[in-house]
Amino acid sequence: MFKLPKPVLAIALLASMTAGASYAENYQIGTAATAIQIAGWDIDIRPDGKGLPVGSGNAINGEEGYEIFCASCHGVFGEGEGRWPVLAGGEGTLEDDRPVKTVGSYWPYASTLFDYIRRAMPFNAPRSLNDQQVYDITAYVLYLNDLIEEDFELSQDNLAHLKMPNEDGFFVDTRPDVNNPRCMTDCADPSSLMMQTSLAGVTPIGHFVEGADAPAASHSDQQDLEASKEAERKAAITGEEIATSIDQDHTSMSAEALVGEATYKAACGACHASGLAGAPKLGDAEAWSKRLQKGNDLLIIHALEGYAGSEGYMPAKGGRTDLTDEAVTNAVLFMVESQQ
Amino acid sequence: MNVPSTHQLLQTLQSASEHLSTNDRRDFLRRGMSYVAGSAAIVGSTMASATALNSNLPPNEPQWGKQLGTGVVENPYGYPSSHESLVVRRTVPWLTADSVSSISMSPIQDLRGIITPNGLVFERYHSGVPNINPDEHRLMIHGLVDNPLIFTMEDLMRFPSVSEIRFIECPANGGMEWRGPQMEALQFTHGMLSCCEWTGVPLKVLLDAVGIQTEGKWVLAEGADGAHMSRSIPIEKVLDDTLVVYAQNGEMLRPEQGYPLRLINPGWEGNTSIKWLRRIEVGDQPWHHREETSKYTDLMADGRARRFTFVQECNSVITTPCPENPIISKGFLEVEGLAWTGRGKIKGVDISFDGGVSWRPAQLKGLVLDKALTRFSFSTQWQGEAWLIQSRAYDDSGYVQPTLAQLREQRGVNSIYHKNSIHTWQVGSTGEVKNVQVT
Repeated sequence: MFKLPKPVLAIALLASMTAGASYAENYQIGTAATAIQIAGWDIDIRPDGKGLPVGSGNAINGEEGYEIFCASCHGVFGEGEGRWPVLAGGEGTLEDDRPVKTVGSYWPYASTLFDYIRRAMPFNAPRSLNDQQVYDITAYVLYLNDLIEEDFELSQDNLAHLKMPNEDGFFVDTRPDVNNPRCMTDCADPSSLMMQTSLAGVTPIGHFVEGADAPAASHSDQQDLEASKEAERKAAITGEEIATSIDQDHTSMSAEALVGEATYKAACGACHASGLAGAPKLGDAEAWSKRLQKGNDLLIIHALEGYAGSEGYMPAKGGRTDLTDEAVTNAVLFMVESQQ
Repeated sequence: MNVPSTHQLLQTLQSASEHLSTNDRRDFLRRGMSYVAGSAAIVGSTMASATALNSNLPPNEPQWGKQLGTGVVENPYGYPSSHESLVVRRTVPWLTADSVSSISMSPIQDLRGIITPNGLVFERYHSGVPNINPDEHRLMIHGLVDNPLIFTMEDLMRFPSVSEIRFIECPANGGMEWRGPQMEALQFTHGMLSCCEWTGVPLKVLLDAVGIQTEGKWVLAEGADGAHMSRSIPIEKVLDDTLVVYAQNGEMLRPEQGYPLRLINPGWEGNTSIKWLRRIEVGDQPWHHREETSKYTDLMADGRARRFTFVQECNSVITTPCPENPIISKGFLEVEGLAWTGRGKIKGVDISFDGGVSWRPAQLKGLVLDKALTRFSFSTQWQGEAWLIQSRAYDDSGYVQPTLAQLREQRGVNSIYHKNSIHTWQVGSTGEVKNVQVT
């Protein structure tokens, strides 16, 4: 290039532009991203360790954070609560009838664990943990899977070198893997055809089959359905009439409670809609009656500072330490007034 | 409230009668109650005809012809008719732990043509729908590029736009039925599927603007939602047909579909079409993030797993008849359905009435577009015979939709994703339709 006479160079450049190889010169749209801007958003980690922040952590220090932020869904031992993901165990089950795919039994790279915790966890407060907490909790989950010792110091230098048990268990897509010829006649022996019918009672079909004993077609309707079935069951035993209205009448709520509904939906509902970790479910009169007796002030203190008792476990602000005290207070009032 | 009790049905009838005069309403409700008492099995369209009022039928002038209706801008943004209230997205609640990390299905049993209306496009969230202010939304493109750039929404809408009709499908569509038939309705066997006209900018144009370096072989796309959903996409796809879109079916994206900005990877598993798109990084290797290792990998019977199973292979299903749309009368019947393939265009669809023993070609109708839903049709007569009715699509790559037995033989039953096998409906002598599997 350097030896080309100048006119030739100019022509070559012109040719590359007119060929449309570079739109940037044409459009000039967008603003240069600064190194600081990129650093704030560039959160991804790769298996080779690229992207890991400087730092380290261990399972001993990770235990407390795991129990506060993770255990309510994933279980104290990573065994999973309800339908939330199981994190530990399952080794040697991938060929089984019911495989258990966990960090230890299935995930190919430890980097994915750090990346995912930092990008998306805890579930109701993503991007709220600092890098130290992420290192510690990552170490703790690896420890729960017997992949490192309790005092192993996991760091930006050694995380990429951890060999996960199932790293070699993956291969790139090999489809198309079947070749079905376009047969038109005598394609199967009718006498050998086997027919299997659908399971009954697991599909939400109430919208087109009247009286079907079926689940509802949304999570909230399913909750209402289960609550009304439970009320019917109890009424059948006690002989009492069923309280009819499950619907919330929000018109009688205080202004604070009405404001609190948004916080409830964005933060508290993750546990209080499902009853996770012993959380009293919104609308569960029995679970709330004991709490209401304690008075609003104590409930608000428990919500702000955390609470651990035989009925349930509540981290400070439900793990949403980013919320203001006022927002949490209003959400408590919304839940309390929803019972009244 | 999706299991209508008699009480709820009466409420439905009550609200449906609100436009009627007092006498008509009394008549309507009485008929509705006798319908409920008659315990007909199928509600919905059958209900409408069962409760039709003689006073609104010829030779009488119907009630709505004897009064004024509502005026313009009564609904500045319009709604479907109140009589279409059953055409909604639904989910199967026991599939997922929480509604904000879950999936819903489009009511494809009720849709016509190939375009899914915006309010009925299936939903898939990992941390719920974020409420994004478009003035504060940014797309950052960086990594192995010469000029990392940040785009505002206004910036992106200055680029020359393209509009393309493409299907989008969750790779778990049908995934509940690897072991056996489980879902008693089309909405749940095939409803993780939608098709829209998407408008935006080819990602290639934006990558040309930042100047992609020669070592750049993959891109990472990342969402702005709480999950910060991330997927690695090979550069060949990105330079081929990946779109960065801000509009669907003529209006800005719905929040559920990624407002204000999302990726569309035509023909590929929906999970790669990152919603609420905020960042594209160019790299020299894939990232192996959670959604491409722990999830969206296909476990085979031998315990090994396929990864980067991007393409949605050729698939089809009959939408009329189906469990929600039983055959209501003998005589002429147009069998209709949808076919689609991530490899290109649908070339044809065959229909079997005998569980796959013999096949006859159906007609494709309407638009036949690349990586878009395609309608097929087969006109016939039904005289009460029992059918095991199936559709089998094939595409212009030469691929023919396989049988379930063929898929199971290759993959076992634990792969969750990419079940595109021939589907069977059992039609009974009364016209009712059941989901079955024939092997």
